[in-house]
Amino acid sequence: MVLDLTMSMAILAFMGALATIAGCLEDLESDVGSQSNPNSQVQLAPQMNFLHRIYNKAVSGEPVSNGLSAVIGGTAAMVLLDAKFFPLTAIGLGALVGALVYGIYATTSYAGRVASQSRFKQPLYMDIMRYTTPSIIAHNFIVCFCLVALAYIQSQILVPAHPFSIPFLALIWGISVGAIGSSVGDVHYGGEREFQNREFGCGLNTALSGRIVRKAESGLRNSIDNVWFCAKYGGPVTGIALGLTVFLSSWPTTIFGYTWIAIGVGIAIVLVMLILNRLIEVQVKNAYGPYKEEKNEKEAAA
Amino acid sequence: MVAFDPTTFMNVLLIAISGTLVCIAVHFIPVGGAPAAMAQATGIGTGTVELASGSGLVGLITASFMYSIPEVQARPDAMALVLAAGAMGSMIMIASTMLSGSLIYAYGVGVPFASAQVKKDPITGAVQDLYMSKGTQGQGLPTICYVSGIIGAALGGIGGALIYFVLVGIYAKSALIGGSAAAVAGVFTMGVFYVNAVVPSYGVGGTIEGFHDPKFRRVLPKDAFTSFVVSILCGILAVLIGGGF
Repeated sequence: MVLDLTMSMAILAFMGALATIAGCLEDLESDVGSQSNPNSQVQLAPQMNFLHRIYNKAVSGEPVSNGLSAVIGGTAAMVLLDAKFFPLTAIGLGALVGALVYGIYATTSYAGRVASQSRFKQPLYMDIMRYTTPSIIAHNFIVCFCLVALAYIQSQILVPAHPFSIPFLALIWGISVGAIGSSVGDVHYGGEREFQNREFGCGLNTALSGRIVRKAESGLRNSIDNVWFCAKYGGPVTGIALGLTVFLSSWPTTIFGYTWIAIGVGIAIVLVMLILNRLIEVQVKNAYGPYKEEKNEKEAAA
Repeated sequence: MVAFDPTTFMNVLLIAISGTLVCIAVHFIPVGGAPAAMAQATGIGTGTVELASGSGLVGLITASFMYSIPEVQARPDAMALVLAAGAMGSMIMIASTMLSGSLIYAYGVGVPFASAQVKKDPITGAVQDLYMSKGTQGQGLPTICYVSGIIGAALGGIGGALIYFVLVGIYAKSALIGGSAAAVAGVFTMGVFYVNAVVPSYGVGGTIEGFHDPKFRRVLPKDAFTSFVVSILCGILAVLIGGGF
Protein backbone atom coordinates (compact mmCIF):
# COMPACT_ATOMS: atom_id res chain seq x y z
CA MET A 1 0.00 0.00 0.00
CA VAL A 2 1.34 3.42 -0.95
CA LEU A 3 0.11 6.28 1.17
CA ASP A 4 -0.93 9.42 -0.64
CA LEU A 5 0.03 12.83 0.73
CA THR A 6 -3.26 13.38 2.57
CA MET A 7 -3.06 10.03 4.30
CA SER A 8 0.63 10.57 5.15
CA MET A 9 -0.20 13.94 6.68
CA ALA A 10 -3.10 12.43 8.62
CA ILE A 11 -0.84 9.74 10.07
CA LEU A 12 1.81 12.33 10.85
CA ALA A 13 -0.76 14.50 12.64
CA PHE A 14 -1.91 11.46 14.61
CA MET A 15 1.71 10.74 15.57
CA GLY A 16 2.07 14.35 16.69
CA ALA A 17 -1.09 14.04 18.80
CA LEU A 18 0.15 10.82 20.40
CA ALA A 19 3.49 12.46 21.16
CA THR A 20 1.76 15.50 22.67
CA ILE A 21 -0.24 13.30 25.04
CA ALA A 22 2.86 11.25 25.89
CA GLY A 23 4.95 14.36 26.59
CA CYS A 24 2.27 15.92 28.78
CA LEU A 25 1.63 12.76 30.79
CA GLU A 26 5.34 12.04 31.17
CA ASP A 27 5.89 15.39 32.81
CA LEU A 28 2.89 14.93 35.07
CA GLU A 29 4.09 11.46 36.02
CA SER A 30 7.47 12.93 37.01
CA ASP A 31 5.59 15.52 39.12
CA VAL A 32 3.28 13.08 40.86
CA GLY A 33 6.18 10.78 41.61
CA SER A 34 8.70 13.60 42.05
CA GLN A 35 11.56 12.58 39.82
CA SER A 36 14.56 14.15 38.14
CA ASN A 37 16.22 17.43 39.11
CA PRO A 38 13.47 19.04 41.25
CA ASN A 39 13.46 15.89 43.37
CA SER A 40 16.88 16.99 44.69
CA GLN A 41 14.95 19.56 46.75
CA VAL A 42 12.49 16.94 48.01
CA GLN A 43 15.47 14.77 48.93
CA LEU A 44 17.25 17.68 50.60
CA ALA A 45 14.26 19.00 52.57
CA PRO A 46 14.44 16.56 55.54
CA GLN A 47 18.09 17.49 56.03
CA MET A 48 16.94 21.10 56.49
CA ASN A 49 14.32 19.92 59.04
CA PHE A 50 11.56 20.25 56.46
CA LEU A 51 9.76 16.93 56.84
CA HIS A 52 7.16 16.46 54.09
CA ARG A 53 4.45 14.20 52.64
CA ILE A 54 5.72 14.27 49.04
CA TYR A 55 6.40 11.04 47.13
CA ASN A 56 10.12 10.68 46.59
CA LYS A 57 10.90 8.29 43.78
CA ALA A 58 13.75 8.92 41.46
CA VAL A 59 14.19 5.57 39.77
CA SER A 60 16.90 7.16 37.64
CA GLY A 61 17.12 10.10 35.28
CA GLU A 62 13.82 10.53 33.46
CA PRO A 63 15.12 9.46 30.02
CA VAL A 64 16.45 6.15 31.31
CA SER A 65 13.39 5.26 33.40
CA ASN A 66 10.95 6.16 30.62
CA GLY A 67 13.12 4.39 28.06
CA LEU A 68 13.00 1.31 30.31
CA SER A 69 9.22 1.21 30.63
CA ALA A 70 8.74 2.00 26.93
CA VAL A 71 11.11 -0.73 25.75
CA ILE A 72 9.45 -3.27 28.09
CA GLY A 73 6.06 -2.20 26.72
CA GLY A 74 7.34 -2.37 23.15
CA THR A 75 8.85 -5.82 23.63
CA ALA A 76 5.67 -7.20 25.22
CA ALA A 77 3.58 -5.67 22.44
CA MET A 78 5.87 -7.21 19.81
CA VAL A 79 5.50 -10.66 21.38
CA LEU A 80 1.71 -10.29 21.42
CA LEU A 81 1.67 -9.06 17.82
CA ASP A 82 3.63 -12.15 16.83
CA ALA A 83 0.96 -14.22 18.61
CA LYS A 84 -1.62 -12.64 16.25
CA PHE A 85 -3.21 -10.32 18.81
CA PHE A 86 -5.03 -7.24 17.48
CA PRO A 87 -2.58 -4.31 17.37
CA LEU A 88 -4.60 -2.18 19.80
CA THR A 89 -4.89 -5.02 22.31
CA ALA A 90 -1.20 -5.87 21.95
CA ILE A 91 -0.14 -2.23 22.45
CA GLY A 92 -2.50 -1.83 25.44
CA LEU A 93 -1.33 -5.02 27.16
CA GLY A 94 2.30 -4.22 26.37
CA ALA A 95 1.94 -0.75 27.87
CA LEU A 96 0.32 -2.26 30.96
CA VAL A 97 3.30 -4.58 31.48
CA GLY A 98 5.72 -1.65 31.09
CA ALA A 99 3.72 0.51 33.51
CA LEU A 100 3.50 -2.25 36.15
CA VAL A 101 7.26 -2.80 36.06
CA TYR A 102 7.65 0.96 36.38
CA GLY A 103 5.32 0.89 39.41
CA ILE A 104 7.53 -1.72 41.06
CA TYR A 105 10.58 0.50 40.57
CA ALA A 106 8.65 3.51 41.92
CA THR A 107 7.61 1.66 45.07
CA THR A 108 11.04 0.28 45.85
CA SER A 109 12.79 3.58 45.15
CA TYR A 110 10.35 5.51 47.37
CA ALA A 111 10.79 3.05 50.22
CA GLY A 112 14.56 2.94 49.70
CA ARG A 113 15.01 6.68 49.54
CA VAL A 114 12.95 7.40 52.63
CA ALA A 115 14.64 4.57 54.52
CA SER A 116 18.01 6.16 53.74
CA GLN A 117 16.76 9.37 55.38
CA SER A 118 15.73 7.80 58.68
CA ARG A 119 18.47 9.72 60.52
CA PHE A 120 16.66 12.94 59.53
CA LYS A 121 13.38 11.57 60.97
CA GLN A 122 11.59 11.57 57.58
CA PRO A 123 8.67 9.11 57.92
CA LEU A 124 7.53 6.72 55.21
CA TYR A 125 3.80 7.47 54.83
CA MET A 126 1.97 4.33 53.83
CA ASP A 127 -1.16 6.25 52.76
CA ILE A 128 0.99 8.31 50.36
CA MET A 129 2.45 5.13 48.91
CA ARG A 130 -1.00 3.51 48.63
CA TYR A 131 -2.72 6.23 46.66
CA THR A 132 0.18 7.85 44.79
CA THR A 133 1.70 4.68 43.32
CA PRO A 134 -1.42 3.76 41.29
CA SER A 135 -1.44 7.31 39.96
CA ILE A 136 2.19 6.93 38.85
CA ILE A 137 1.37 3.62 37.15
CA ALA A 138 -1.68 5.17 35.44
CA HIS A 139 0.31 8.13 34.12
CA ASN A 140 3.09 5.86 32.92
CA PHE A 141 0.60 3.52 31.25
CA ILE A 142 -0.68 6.36 29.06
CA VAL A 143 2.88 7.45 28.24
CA CYS A 144 3.88 3.89 27.41
CA PHE A 145 0.74 3.31 25.34
CA CYS A 146 1.33 6.44 23.25
CA LEU A 147 5.02 5.70 22.71
CA VAL A 148 4.48 2.06 21.73
CA ALA A 149 1.65 3.14 19.42
CA LEU A 150 4.00 5.74 17.90
CA ALA A 151 6.66 3.08 17.38
CA TYR A 152 4.06 0.71 15.89
CA ILE A 153 2.92 3.35 13.40
CA GLN A 154 6.49 4.15 12.35
CA SER A 155 7.48 0.52 12.06
CA GLN A 156 4.32 -1.09 10.62
CA ILE A 157 1.99 1.50 9.07
CA LEU A 158 4.22 4.17 7.51
CA VAL A 159 5.26 3.56 3.93
CA PRO A 160 8.22 3.33 3.61
CA ALA A 161 8.48 1.77 7.09
CA HIS A 162 11.17 2.78 9.55
CA PRO A 163 14.06 0.26 9.60
CA PHE A 164 14.10 0.02 13.43
CA SER A 165 11.93 -2.45 15.31
CA ILE A 166 9.04 -1.46 17.65
CA PRO A 167 10.97 -1.98 20.93
CA PHE A 168 13.96 0.03 19.71
CA LEU A 169 11.82 2.90 18.45
CA ALA A 170 9.89 2.84 21.74
CA LEU A 171 13.20 2.97 23.61
CA ILE A 172 14.39 5.99 21.61
CA TRP A 173 11.10 7.85 22.05
CA GLY A 174 11.11 6.93 25.75
CA ILE A 175 14.57 8.45 26.13
CA SER A 176 13.51 11.54 24.16
CA VAL A 177 10.28 12.06 26.11
CA GLY A 178 12.27 11.80 29.34
CA ALA A 179 14.87 14.30 28.11
CA ILE A 180 12.15 16.77 27.09
CA GLY A 181 10.10 16.27 30.25
CA SER A 182 13.20 16.77 32.35
CA SER A 183 14.15 19.93 30.42
CA VAL A 184 10.77 21.62 30.14
CA GLY A 185 8.01 20.68 32.57
CA ASP A 186 10.24 19.99 35.54
CA VAL A 187 11.19 23.67 35.67
CA HIS A 188 7.56 24.48 36.45
CA TYR A 189 7.62 21.98 39.30
CA GLY A 190 11.09 22.82 40.62
CA GLY A 191 11.24 26.55 39.91
CA GLU A 192 7.69 27.46 40.86
CA ARG A 193 5.59 24.82 42.63
CA GLU A 194 8.20 23.71 45.17
CA PHE A 195 8.92 27.32 46.18
CA GLN A 196 5.51 28.85 45.73
CA ASN A 197 5.69 30.81 48.98
CA ARG A 198 8.28 33.17 47.40
CA GLU A 199 7.32 36.18 45.35
CA PHE A 200 6.52 35.21 41.73
CA GLY A 201 9.52 35.80 39.47
CA CYS A 202 11.95 36.54 42.31
CA GLY A 203 14.38 33.89 41.10
CA LEU A 204 15.34 31.23 43.56
CA ASN A 205 18.27 32.11 45.79
CA THR A 206 20.59 29.14 46.27
CA ALA A 207 20.35 29.68 50.04
CA LEU A 208 16.71 28.57 49.88
CA SER A 209 17.62 25.10 48.63
CA GLY A 210 15.66 22.37 50.39
CA ARG A 211 13.16 24.78 51.95
CA ILE A 212 10.22 23.51 49.94
CA VAL A 213 6.58 24.43 50.50
CA ARG A 214 4.83 21.80 52.61
CA LYS A 215 1.38 23.32 53.06
CA ALA A 216 -1.26 22.85 50.40
CA GLU A 217 -4.27 24.90 49.40
CA SER A 218 -6.00 22.75 52.00
CA GLY A 219 -4.09 20.70 54.56
CA LEU A 220 -0.60 19.31 54.02
CA ARG A 221 0.78 19.21 50.50
CA ASN A 222 1.35 15.92 48.77
CA SER A 223 2.30 14.88 45.24
CA ILE A 224 -1.30 14.82 44.03
CA ASP A 225 -1.48 18.54 44.85
CA ASN A 226 1.69 19.09 42.84
CA VAL A 227 0.42 17.33 39.75
CA TRP A 228 -2.85 19.31 39.98
CA PHE A 229 -0.85 22.52 39.74
CA CYS A 230 1.64 21.39 37.07
CA ALA A 231 -1.15 20.02 34.87
CA LYS A 232 -2.20 23.62 34.25
CA TYR A 233 0.99 24.67 32.46
CA GLY A 234 4.15 22.56 32.80
CA GLY A 235 2.58 19.35 31.49
CA PRO A 236 0.86 20.79 28.42
CA VAL A 237 3.95 22.77 27.39
CA THR A 238 6.06 19.60 27.64
CA GLY A 239 3.50 17.85 25.47
CA ILE A 240 3.76 20.60 22.88
CA ALA A 241 7.55 20.22 22.88
CA LEU A 242 7.45 16.49 22.12
CA GLY A 243 4.54 16.90 19.70
CA LEU A 244 6.50 19.55 17.79
CA THR A 245 9.60 17.34 17.78
CA VAL A 246 7.78 14.32 16.35
CA PHE A 247 5.69 16.33 13.89
CA LEU A 248 8.31 18.77 12.63
CA SER A 249 11.13 16.22 12.36
CA SER A 250 9.05 14.22 9.85
CA TRP A 251 6.95 16.94 8.22
CA PRO A 252 9.65 18.31 5.84
CA THR A 253 10.43 14.89 4.34
CA THR A 254 6.72 13.98 4.10
CA ILE A 255 5.95 17.12 2.10
CA PHE A 256 9.16 17.75 0.16
CA GLY A 257 10.46 14.19 -0.19
CA TYR A 258 13.88 12.92 0.79
CA THR A 259 15.77 15.81 -0.71
CA TRP A 260 17.91 18.79 0.23
CA ILE A 261 14.82 21.00 0.06
CA ALA A 262 13.37 19.10 3.04
CA ILE A 263 16.63 19.66 4.96
CA GLY A 264 16.47 23.37 4.10
CA VAL A 265 12.87 23.56 5.34
CA GLY A 266 13.93 21.84 8.57
CA ILE A 267 16.66 24.43 9.12
CA ALA A 268 14.16 27.21 8.37
CA ILE A 269 11.85 25.80 11.08
CA VAL A 270 14.74 25.94 13.55
CA LEU A 271 15.44 29.57 12.61
CA VAL A 272 11.77 30.46 13.14
CA MET A 273 11.96 28.92 16.61
CA LEU A 274 15.12 30.93 17.31
CA ILE A 275 13.27 34.14 16.42
CA LEU A 276 10.32 33.11 18.63
CA ASN A 277 12.70 32.53 21.54
CA ARG A 278 14.19 35.99 21.02
CA LEU A 279 10.70 37.53 20.98
CA ILE A 280 9.86 35.81 24.28
CA GLU A 281 13.17 37.05 25.75
CA VAL A 282 12.47 40.65 24.74
CA GLN A 283 8.85 40.50 25.86
CA VAL A 284 9.74 39.10 29.27
CA LYS A 285 12.54 41.59 29.89
CA ASN A 286 10.24 44.47 28.98
CA ALA A 287 7.40 43.12 31.10
CA TYR A 288 9.38 42.31 34.25
CA GLY A 289 12.31 44.75 34.03
CA PRO A 290 15.66 44.34 35.79
CA TYR A 291 15.89 43.16 39.41
CA LYS A 292 16.02 46.02 41.92
CA GLU A 293 18.05 46.10 45.09
CA GLU A 294 16.01 45.58 48.21
CA LYS A 295 15.73 48.49 50.66
CA ASN A 296 17.87 46.90 53.40
CA GLU A 297 20.57 46.07 50.81
CA LYS A 298 20.72 49.74 49.75
CA GLU A 299 21.04 50.79 53.38
CA ALA A 300 23.79 48.26 53.97
CA ALA A 301 25.63 49.53 50.89
CA ALA A 302 25.31 53.12 52.10
CA MET B 1 43.69 -14.29 10.62
CA VAL B 2 43.90 -10.54 10.93
CA ALA B 3 43.62 -8.70 7.65
CA PHE B 4 44.59 -5.01 7.67
CA ASP B 5 42.11 -3.53 5.27
CA PRO B 6 42.46 0.24 4.66
CA THR B 7 38.67 0.57 4.38
CA THR B 8 38.25 -0.94 7.83
CA PHE B 9 40.75 1.52 9.29
CA MET B 10 38.94 4.34 7.56
CA ASN B 11 35.69 3.15 9.14
CA VAL B 12 37.25 3.02 12.60
CA LEU B 13 38.64 6.51 12.06
CA LEU B 14 35.24 7.80 10.96
CA ILE B 15 33.64 6.36 14.10
CA ALA B 16 36.37 8.04 16.18
CA ILE B 17 35.71 11.37 14.44
CA SER B 18 31.96 10.94 14.95
CA GLY B 19 32.43 10.22 18.63
CA THR B 20 34.60 13.32 18.97
CA LEU B 21 31.92 15.36 17.21
CA VAL B 22 29.35 14.13 19.73
CA CYS B 23 31.71 15.08 22.56
CA ILE B 24 32.22 18.58 21.12
CA ALA B 25 28.45 18.88 20.63
CA VAL B 26 27.80 18.27 24.33
CA HIS B 27 29.94 21.32 25.19
CA PHE B 28 27.78 23.53 22.98
CA ILE B 29 24.48 22.53 24.57
CA PRO B 30 23.58 24.92 27.40
CA VAL B 31 22.71 22.67 30.32
CA GLY B 32 22.22 23.93 33.83
CA GLY B 33 21.51 20.62 35.54
CA ALA B 34 19.50 20.63 38.78
CA PRO B 35 20.14 24.37 39.49
CA ALA B 36 18.59 25.32 36.14
CA ALA B 37 15.52 23.21 36.96
CA MET B 38 15.05 25.56 39.95
CA ALA B 39 15.87 28.64 37.78
CA GLN B 40 19.16 29.07 39.67
CA ALA B 41 21.43 28.74 36.62
CA THR B 42 21.31 29.63 32.93
CA GLY B 43 20.51 26.85 30.49
CA ILE B 44 18.20 23.90 30.13
CA GLY B 45 17.19 22.31 33.42
CA THR B 46 18.59 18.86 32.86
CA GLY B 47 21.85 16.94 32.62
CA THR B 48 24.34 16.95 29.76
CA VAL B 49 24.02 13.25 28.99
CA GLU B 50 20.22 13.26 29.11
CA LEU B 51 19.69 16.12 26.72
CA ALA B 52 22.54 15.34 24.32
CA SER B 53 21.43 11.74 23.99
CA GLY B 54 17.77 12.71 23.70
CA SER B 55 18.43 15.07 20.82
CA GLY B 56 21.04 12.84 19.19
CA LEU B 57 18.67 9.89 19.17
CA VAL B 58 15.93 11.88 17.44
CA GLY B 59 18.64 12.67 14.87
CA LEU B 60 19.34 8.94 14.66
CA ILE B 61 15.66 8.25 13.87
CA THR B 62 15.59 10.82 11.04
CA ALA B 63 19.00 9.78 9.69
CA SER B 64 18.22 6.06 9.70
CA PHE B 65 14.89 6.73 8.00
CA MET B 66 16.63 8.79 5.33
CA TYR B 67 19.20 6.02 4.82
CA SER B 68 16.48 3.37 4.43
CA ILE B 69 15.07 5.07 1.30
CA PRO B 70 16.46 3.25 -1.79
CA GLU B 71 16.50 6.45 -3.92
CA VAL B 72 18.66 8.15 -1.30
CA GLN B 73 21.12 5.26 -1.21
CA ALA B 74 21.45 5.49 -4.99
CA ARG B 75 22.38 9.18 -4.88
CA PRO B 76 26.05 10.19 -5.05
CA ASP B 77 25.55 12.56 -2.10
CA ALA B 78 23.77 9.94 0.04
CA MET B 79 26.20 10.29 2.93
CA ALA B 80 25.84 14.08 3.10
CA LEU B 81 22.05 13.81 2.93
CA VAL B 82 21.91 11.23 5.75
CA LEU B 83 24.20 13.37 7.94
CA ALA B 84 22.09 16.47 7.20
CA ALA B 85 18.92 14.54 8.11
CA GLY B 86 20.51 13.58 11.44
CA ALA B 87 21.47 17.20 12.09
CA MET B 88 17.97 18.38 11.16
CA GLY B 89 16.23 15.94 13.53
CA SER B 90 18.55 16.83 16.41
CA MET B 91 18.21 20.57 15.82
CA ILE B 92 14.41 20.42 15.69
CA MET B 93 14.29 18.42 18.93
CA ILE B 94 16.56 20.80 20.80
CA ALA B 95 14.99 23.93 19.31
CA SER B 96 11.47 22.89 20.33
CA THR B 97 12.71 21.80 23.77
CA MET B 98 14.51 25.11 24.37
CA LEU B 99 11.56 27.13 23.06
CA SER B 100 9.15 25.27 25.35
CA GLY B 101 11.61 25.61 28.24
CA SER B 102 11.69 29.36 27.57
CA LEU B 103 7.88 29.45 27.77
CA ILE B 104 8.10 27.87 31.23
CA TYR B 105 10.86 30.21 32.44
CA ALA B 106 9.04 33.24 31.05
CA TYR B 107 5.45 32.60 32.07
CA GLY B 108 5.55 29.69 34.53
CA VAL B 109 8.42 30.82 36.75
CA GLY B 110 8.41 34.50 35.74
CA VAL B 111 12.14 35.14 35.37
CA PRO B 112 13.84 37.25 32.65
CA PHE B 113 16.57 35.41 30.73
CA ALA B 114 20.10 36.24 31.81
CA SER B 115 23.53 34.75 31.26
CA ALA B 116 25.97 34.77 34.19
CA GLN B 117 29.03 34.43 31.93
CA VAL B 118 28.73 37.56 29.77
CA LYS B 119 27.61 41.10 30.60
CA LYS B 120 26.15 41.58 27.14
CA ASP B 121 24.80 38.96 24.77
CA PRO B 122 27.43 38.75 21.95
CA ILE B 123 24.68 38.22 19.35
CA THR B 124 21.92 40.63 20.38
CA GLY B 125 23.92 43.01 22.58
CA ALA B 126 21.25 42.71 25.29
CA VAL B 127 22.35 43.52 28.85
CA GLN B 128 22.54 40.40 31.03
CA ASP B 129 23.84 41.22 34.51
CA LEU B 130 20.98 43.58 35.46
CA TYR B 131 18.48 40.80 34.89
CA MET B 132 20.27 38.24 37.02
CA SER B 133 18.44 37.43 40.20
CA LYS B 134 20.32 37.62 43.50
CA GLY B 135 21.94 34.39 44.65
CA THR B 136 21.68 32.68 41.27
CA GLN B 137 23.96 31.94 38.32
CA GLY B 138 21.54 33.43 35.80
CA GLN B 139 18.35 31.89 34.49
CA GLY B 140 16.46 31.05 31.31
CA LEU B 141 17.78 30.78 27.78
CA PRO B 142 19.22 33.98 26.30
CA THR B 143 19.76 34.06 22.52
CA ILE B 144 23.47 33.22 22.75
CA CYS B 145 22.65 30.00 24.65
CA TYR B 146 19.90 29.14 22.17
CA VAL B 147 22.25 29.52 19.20
CA SER B 148 24.93 27.49 20.95
CA GLY B 149 22.41 24.74 21.66
CA ILE B 150 21.37 24.55 18.03
CA ILE B 151 25.01 24.32 16.88
CA GLY B 152 25.60 21.57 19.45
CA ALA B 153 22.55 19.64 18.31
CA ALA B 154 23.65 19.90 14.68
CA LEU B 155 27.10 18.53 15.52
CA GLY B 156 25.61 15.77 17.67
CA GLY B 157 23.14 14.82 14.97
CA ILE B 158 25.89 14.69 12.35
CA GLY B 159 28.08 12.61 14.69
CA GLY B 160 25.32 10.12 15.46
CA ALA B 161 24.27 9.85 11.82
CA LEU B 162 27.89 9.28 10.72
CA ILE B 163 28.33 6.44 13.20
CA TYR B 164 25.10 4.85 11.93
CA PHE B 165 26.05 5.39 8.29
CA VAL B 166 29.43 3.72 8.76
CA LEU B 167 28.15 0.83 10.87
CA VAL B 168 25.12 -0.04 8.75
CA GLY B 169 27.46 -0.18 5.74
CA ILE B 170 29.78 -2.61 7.56
CA TYR B 171 27.04 -4.78 9.05
CA ALA B 172 25.04 -5.07 5.81
CA LYS B 173 28.00 -7.00 4.33
CA SER B 174 28.46 -9.15 7.44
CA ALA B 175 27.57 -12.83 7.19
CA LEU B 176 26.89 -12.90 10.93
CA ILE B 177 24.47 -10.01 11.39
CA GLY B 178 23.69 -8.88 7.85
CA GLY B 179 20.00 -9.69 8.29
CA SER B 180 19.55 -7.20 11.09
CA ALA B 181 22.17 -4.63 10.11
CA ALA B 182 19.97 -1.57 10.80
CA ALA B 183 19.00 -2.79 14.29
CA VAL B 184 22.55 -3.66 15.39
CA ALA B 185 23.93 -0.43 13.89
CA GLY B 186 21.22 1.57 15.66
CA VAL B 187 21.89 -0.02 19.05
CA PHE B 188 25.65 0.38 18.68
CA THR B 189 25.25 4.00 17.59
CA MET B 190 23.23 4.62 20.74
CA GLY B 191 26.02 3.04 22.77
CA VAL B 192 28.77 5.14 21.17
CA PHE B 193 26.57 8.21 21.62
CA TYR B 194 26.11 7.57 25.33
CA VAL B 195 29.84 6.91 25.86
CA ASN B 196 30.72 10.21 24.22
CA ALA B 197 28.00 12.09 26.07
CA VAL B 198 29.26 10.79 29.41
CA VAL B 199 32.98 11.54 28.80
CA PRO B 200 32.54 15.35 28.54
CA SER B 201 30.12 15.47 31.49
CA TYR B 202 33.15 15.03 33.79
CA GLY B 203 34.77 18.12 32.32
CA VAL B 204 31.54 20.11 32.10
CA GLY B 205 30.78 19.26 35.73
CA GLY B 206 27.02 19.67 35.54
CA THR B 207 26.60 23.13 34.04
CA ILE B 208 27.82 24.92 30.92
CA GLU B 209 26.23 27.84 29.09
CA GLY B 210 27.62 27.16 25.63
CA PHE B 211 30.54 28.29 23.51
CA HIS B 212 30.74 31.68 25.27
CA ASP B 213 31.32 30.04 28.65
CA PRO B 214 35.03 30.19 29.72
CA LYS B 215 34.68 26.56 30.76
CA PHE B 216 34.15 25.68 27.08
CA ARG B 217 37.70 26.59 26.07
CA ARG B 218 39.17 25.19 29.25
CA VAL B 219 37.79 21.67 29.08
CA LEU B 220 37.08 21.09 25.38
CA PRO B 221 40.57 20.04 24.18
CA LYS B 222 41.05 17.43 26.91
CA ASP B 223 37.54 16.06 26.55
CA ALA B 224 37.78 15.91 22.75
CA PHE B 225 41.09 14.03 22.93
CA THR B 226 39.68 11.57 25.48
CA SER B 227 36.61 11.01 23.34
CA PHE B 228 38.74 10.40 20.26
CA VAL B 229 40.72 7.68 22.05
CA VAL B 230 37.60 6.10 23.56
CA SER B 231 35.80 6.22 20.21
CA ILE B 232 38.68 4.43 18.47
CA LEU B 233 38.19 1.58 20.94
CA CYS B 234 34.44 1.70 20.26
CA GLY B 235 35.14 1.63 16.52
CA ILE B 236 37.41 -1.42 16.81
CA LEU B 237 34.74 -3.17 18.88
CA ALA B 238 32.05 -2.22 16.36
CA VAL B 239 34.04 -3.73 13.50
CA LEU B 240 34.76 -6.88 15.52
CA ILE B 241 31.04 -7.39 16.19
CA GLY B 242 30.43 -7.60 12.46
CA GLY B 243 33.21 -10.19 12.12
CA GLY B 244 35.69 -7.68 10.66
CA PHE B 245 39.52 -7.46 10.91
